[in-house]
Amino acid sequence: MKRILIIALVIIASGGIAAAQELYVNTEPASNMPANSLGIRLSNKFFNMKHSGDNGMRFEPEVMWGANKKLMLHVLGYASNMMQSSVKLEGGGVYAKYRFLSLDQQHAHFRMAAYVRGSVINNPYYPEMPDGGHAMRPYDNKELDLEGATSGVNGGIIATQLLHKLALSTTLGYSRYMNNVKDNIPDDFSRNSVNYSLSAGYLVLPVKYKSFQQTNLNLYVELLGKTNTDAVGRGSYLDIAPAVQFIFNSTTRLDLSYRTQLTGDMARNTSNSFLIRVEHNIFNIKK
Amino acid sequence: MKIVSIILLALGISFGANAQFKKASVHATGLTCAMCSKATYEALESLPFVDKIDTDLDNTTFILTFKTGAPVSIDAIKDKVEDAGFSVGKLVMTANFDAVRVQNDAHVAFAGSTLHFMDVKNQVLSGDKDITVIDKDFVSAKQFKKFSTETTMPCYKTGMMGDCCKSDGATASKRIYHVTI
Repeated sequence: MKRILIIALVIIASGGIAAAQELYVNTEPASNMPANSLGIRLSNKFFNMKHSGDNGMRFEPEVMWGANKKLMLHVLGYASNMMQSSVKLEGGGVYAKYRFLSLDQQHAHFRMAAYVRGSVINNPYYPEMPDGGHAMRPYDNKELDLEGATSGVNGGIIATQLLHKLALSTTLGYSRYMNNVKDNIPDDFSRNSVNYSLSAGYLVLPVKYKSFQQTNLNLYVELLGKTNTDAVGRGSYLDIAPAVQFIFNSTTRLDLSYRTQLTGDMARNTSNSFLIRVEHNIFNIKK
Repeated sequence: MKIVSIILLALGISFGANAQFKKASVHATGLTCAMCSKATYEALESLPFVDKIDTDLDNTTFILTFKTGAPVSIDAIKDKVEDAGFSVGKLVMTANFDAVRVQNDAHVAFAGSTLHFMDVKNQVLSGDKDITVIDKDFVSAKQFKKFSTETTMPCYKTGMMGDCCKSDGATASKRIYHVTI
């Protein structure tokens, strides 16, 4: 754990030698995708589920659209085996981000955006076990999220600062969890939470930009936190998520990230995960 | 016969090249990634008057070569950069002038646009000359503020024809591009 922190600090300190990057893997930057462009994304998460000892996986297909220079919209689907023995479609969601401030300078910019997310999910709040099966350990989880666990809405503010070679981004948001399609949130879960993050990104390659065909290599470190604010299910955690990103032909993105808990007192069925994401962008869909 | 056709060709080219914008060098700010540059490139490429684009990616600069005879909209260039999510930090237009007399704070009708020359000596422009657009959103906010304090002309702040402009029969809502050499 200490080593990861040291590596993170070294990367932050060495920011002066690389160009900044803000295509964060586990959060969104305040910048939007270009107007009139379309992005297609498939995110896959792999994690160990403490209650069953099984490997869990989640698949999130996502379509992103730059409606205009200030507004972008995402539509997402969620599928996983977290709550039942095999992978099934759990629901879907929408995400909208509006960039309301943009101060661009030669080697710096500061941007702010507001976002909202909404999810409709059909999942139980306690995992179903196959007939005759039983959990290895009690299902001890007080963490809900809008990515498949529960229906609800989330909204917040993002601020991204590029200063010389360092790109920093922070998010502050609030979630209101709502009942799922068939199941109601049990009384021992918090219905409200606050999420916060701090992200930093660096371009490692290419050293000098010459063509759009050059493959980019970017490194990220992100701190991701959440606090359940209700008296029941109260708790917090802070995760760290280092990530590597490749960009091919200036249009296709491959993200690899590992996420693990640094500190926290929230009961979680999963406290570390791998993420693999492929994203392809089509610019200027309407000529 | 060959000589005649060469002369005709030369004449044709010089007539064809008269009084028009030939190129633009667009420096975009706010870009940090390959995808950003690519998106900006493709947005600029979709302009109907752009023939080809050369890039200096390390400096996030795009050199647009215009189609001969096509009407060029300076605002459309800026709009494309902004649609891609970025800002114009500097825009230098290369134009072919045919003995055009310019004066400080005077309007010149040129290739379908009205140019207001600021901070220039009285002179006659001939041949290819570079002019820099200094209107709002074509320079950094800091530079715009600086230019604003250096001029008494209120039309600079709006980019539109104003009372300050020496009347040349144009209407008050006409777009005026403020430029310098």
